[in-house]
Amino acid sequence: MDALRTVTRDIDTNSTKISARGVQVHYGDTHAIKDVDVDIKERSVTAFIGPSGCGKSTFLRCINRMNDTIDICRVTGDIRIDGDDIYDRSIDPVQLRARVGMVFQKPNPFPKSIYDNVAYGPKIHGLARSRAEMDEIVERSLRRGAIWDEVKDRLHAPGTGLSGGQQQRLCIARAVATDPEVLLMDEPCSALDPIATAQIEELIDTLREKYTVVIVTHSMQQAARVSQKTAFFHLGNLVEYGDTDDIFTNPKDRRTESYISGRIG
Amino acid sequence: MTDIPSGSGAVARTTMDKVHGSLARRHRKQLILQIFGITAISLAFLMLFILLASLITTGHKAFTQTEITLEVFIDPEEISVERLPRGNFTNVLAAAVAADLPSVDQQDRAEMRVVGGILSNGAQFQLRDRVVEEPELIGQTITISVPVSDPYDQLHKDLLDRETPENLRRLDDTQIAYYDRLVENGAIAASLNTGLLTNADSRFPELAGLKGAIMGSFWALLTCFLISFPLGIGAAIYLEEFAPKNKLSDFIEVNINNLAAVPSVVFGLLALSVFIGLFGLPRSAPFVGGLTLALMTMPTIIIATRAALKAVPPSIREAALGLGASKQQVVFGHVVPLAMPGILTGTIIGLAQALGETAPLLLIGMNAFITSAPATPFDSATALPTQIFIWADSPERGFVSRTSAAILVLLTFLIMMNAIAIYLRSKFERKW
Amino acid sequence: MTTLAFAILLVASLAAYALNRRAATTIRDGGARLHSVSNYHGLFALLLMLVPVLVVILIWLVLQGPVVNAMVMWALPAGTLDGLDTGQADLILAEIQSISGGRIFGDPEPWKLAAAAHLTELRELAALGLVLLTALLCLAIMYVARRKVAAGFRARQGVERIISGLMIFCSVAAIFTTVGIVASLAFETYKFLRLVPLTEFLFGLNWEPQIPIRADQIAAAGAFGWLPVIAGTIVITFVAIFIAVPIGLLSAIYLFEFAPKRIRSVAKPLLEILAGVPTVVYGFFAILVVAPAIRSLGASMGIPVAPNTALAAGGVMGIMLVPFISSFADDALSAVPRSMRDGALALGATRAETVLNVLFPAAIPGIVGGVLLAVSRAIGETMIVVMAAGLMANLTLNPLESVTTVTVQIVTLLIGDTSFDNPKTLAAFALGMMLFIVTLIINIFALRIVRKYREAYD
Repeated sequence: MDALRTVTRDIDTNSTKISARGVQVHYGDTHAIKDVDVDIKERSVTAFIGPSGCGKSTFLRCINRMNDTIDICRVTGDIRIDGDDIYDRSIDPVQLRARVGMVFQKPNPFPKSIYDNVAYGPKIHGLARSRAEMDEIVERSLRRGAIWDEVKDRLHAPGTGLSGGQQQRLCIARAVATDPEVLLMDEPCSALDPIATAQIEELIDTLREKYTVVIVTHSMQQAARVSQKTAFFHLGNLVEYGDTDDIFTNPKDRRTESYISGRIG
Repeated sequence: MTDIPSGSGAVARTTMDKVHGSLARRHRKQLILQIFGITAISLAFLMLFILLASLITTGHKAFTQTEITLEVFIDPEEISVERLPRGNFTNVLAAAVAADLPSVDQQDRAEMRVVGGILSNGAQFQLRDRVVEEPELIGQTITISVPVSDPYDQLHKDLLDRETPENLRRLDDTQIAYYDRLVENGAIAASLNTGLLTNADSRFPELAGLKGAIMGSFWALLTCFLISFPLGIGAAIYLEEFAPKNKLSDFIEVNINNLAAVPSVVFGLLALSVFIGLFGLPRSAPFVGGLTLALMTMPTIIIATRAALKAVPPSIREAALGLGASKQQVVFGHVVPLAMPGILTGTIIGLAQALGETAPLLLIGMNAFITSAPATPFDSATALPTQIFIWADSPERGFVSRTSAAILVLLTFLIMMNAIAIYLRSKFERKW
Repeated sequence: MTTLAFAILLVASLAAYALNRRAATTIRDGGARLHSVSNYHGLFALLLMLVPVLVVILIWLVLQGPVVNAMVMWALPAGTLDGLDTGQADLILAEIQSISGGRIFGDPEPWKLAAAAHLTELRELAALGLVLLTALLCLAIMYVARRKVAAGFRARQGVERIISGLMIFCSVAAIFTTVGIVASLAFETYKFLRLVPLTEFLFGLNWEPQIPIRADQIAAAGAFGWLPVIAGTIVITFVAIFIAVPIGLLSAIYLFEFAPKRIRSVAKPLLEILAGVPTVVYGFFAILVVAPAIRSLGASMGIPVAPNTALAAGGVMGIMLVPFISSFADDALSAVPRSMRDGALALGATRAETVLNVLFPAAIPGIVGGVLLAVSRAIGETMIVVMAAGLMANLTLNPLESVTTVTVQIVTLLIGDTSFDNPKTLAAFALGMMLFIVTLIINIFALRIVRKYREAYD
């Protein structure tokens, strides 16, 4: 009921945030992404689903140009955020990544204190002018990461000492600390237990209010629970893209149907 | 809806502006770090380049030897068949040189000594050996090429500056005039210095060669290999495949890792006090050197062998065990043969290190002055690195280029050994 | 004769192998079921003979020399050795040995000739004894082994037990080496400390290990305070580390993060060449190129530089350590999980920021371990300093001056003929003991850090 209502709202108010046209990715000789077109709406959660090796993570990493860090990876095509071509020569990946945050499959806090983990992004980008301002950013980010109450008394304890779910929420807090517009999440719950997963899913739903969230997930239930739009990838192709409810109740493509009903994957 | 701040776009804009503002500074910092890195690595390579360049520029001159070709009349008055070894070959040779220099008064003994000094001290022995071999040459005139002595060799190689004032020069004007005259006659020429590899050590640079050192190193490395290879492999196989995980095997492991880092000179002290002092083994013998090097090489071999054994996948072991083979049959029949290329590579690299090792050999006396190559590992000898040390310490100018040449020979051996290791690794490397 | 003993052993072992194998085959052909295949019966005999007899031969060979020498010296006419120290006695022994070997110089005294004849005789006797003993042992073992062959005999287990024993022996050899080092150093150091008090050695400010050669010679009594020597070691080590650490770390960071693949594939093997150059070559490089360069540089700036300045030896040692440090740093940086790198890059960190703020701090323990091992190497490095540093102990911390090091003193004190009972020789062992202890402590500490660090990310 609630999901239906938000979907309607999204269609009413949100414009396109990210638009991709004819994206191709090659890893050495492997053709990993084949001609993908997609439009991702602002302030919504879009889920990428599909069997392992279908290219959903690879496509996600194109959006903040993390694929640049892999020598053999070649990306062609056109990806725009708010109309800016992010693969344009004038775009600095450093600046782009401040604008497009990312959360990884395995929680990867730096071996520093909780405070320093969150403060790292604002510090390198020069977002805080004073210590007090930094404290404020850290607190705000930790609150947005829904972990403030758990760590406010031990901000200077090492981030690696937290539990897996807490670490992942810390990483989310770290990602939102630079005030990005887009948040990419690469299977953020696959290393977590069910309780921690539920907490993160709840958090993702609140993040939608401020950020455009793109999440890669293995679990169809998760996609159904948190997303408004779903894209189904298979063997490097974007097979089907649409409202989550439509994809899960009334898939148009036979491959999507087979995947959702558990025949491929 | 209303709780989303309508100004969030503006906030984002200012964030982006801040990020944008910091970019130039941050990229500059990155550039500086890169420049530092490039500078550092270039410095290291510059040093390597200077090292090799200085060795080659000083050393290449030692690969040629200035020789003089003489028509020698073997005067029966000076040399008789009965007293062949005691014949006065020096006089015969000096006379031959003087024949080329019309200005020289053959009766003036002092002048004849200067003329004889053009030739290397070894020339007389070369002639003697020739005559001893064919006594019928006495009374005849033969053509013979002998090395000139060190100062003339230096002069011929432009290492001796004619512009230096005469009193500071190793050759006075008369001697240089002799030399020029001989060059005019076409008697003096530089030829490939085979003596560098076929002669043993000598006090005279123009005669000194590396044969003794190479043989010494050969015997020492052979001893080292024969001891460290079986011991090292045995220990590695036991520790990797059989040893129970207990205090003793932990202790052995810590021990081996520490031994690999003990300063080499300490092994020399051990050898001096135990092998020579306690066991009474001979000083300066390549055998003792090899024994010492074996103790130092063993940890390297053990560590390499264990790595090679670890790389063999457990599935091979399980497959063989599943067929009812005993643990030892599995290890010696399957695991060790598969690990052999890795083991051999590690061993060769260990031996290459041993070949360059100097300090422990100095302590056991392998820096002695020995003019014959060792025939057995128990004869006194030097080794290549200790020979380099001796020559580097010698005051004669001619030894500077000999030292560089000896280093080039040593480096050639090391490169060859490493090339074999690399070849083995690439040929037999297996990806599981 | 020794070769003959080995030959007998070899032939007998092969014979024992063939004999037992044949016997086992015969039993099998007779219809009995063997516990072990006949090959193992042969191997059992082979090992049973080879191992113990080889041990006996080796022990004999080790003991033969000293025993024969002692018997010769003992049989010398009474009174010849009175009042001689061990060095002089060794000289007499050496002369007797060379006479016995046929190299006679001058006209030796008749008692020396007699002793030489005695020596020759004893040696021949010993060699004959060895051959006889080998032959007897071989026969006895062959008999015992042959008796063992039976259908139920567990030859494979026997063989495997012997091989296990051999392997354990090999493993323990490492312990023997350590024990040998510690025992020999401790023994000689103990003798040294009976001549020179420990407090003087540890706290003395003078190191002048000259001792009078003749009793009436006017010379300093010799001073054995190691502080100036260790000060020199510290100066040179400091210079080396001061050069090696920045160059090594910066090259490692560049190669790890920024260098294009092609440059990396060329630069790493080149660095390995730098690491593979023998230290004696670096020493020659120091005296041939570096020391003159530093001196003329100093002269051009009006700074007096000692000919054996610590800068030359330390600088060249620093170059030697660059590949060592950079390979440790490279390993440590590579060991930091890729997710750390991705995390920092995804936040918009530049690659420089990623390396400096995230990877480098995470790799610090591994790098510190590597630097400590480099320090231990610098302290123990011998050839560079023997060739390029000074000989005179000089209590100073100025790297422009000439200083000496622990290893230089060990080598110079022991080069040439030495006897084991004067303080000069023993001082070298005392220095060796200190060197061993210091480097051992650093190594254990460093290896522990490195291992802990590896475990943290595995």
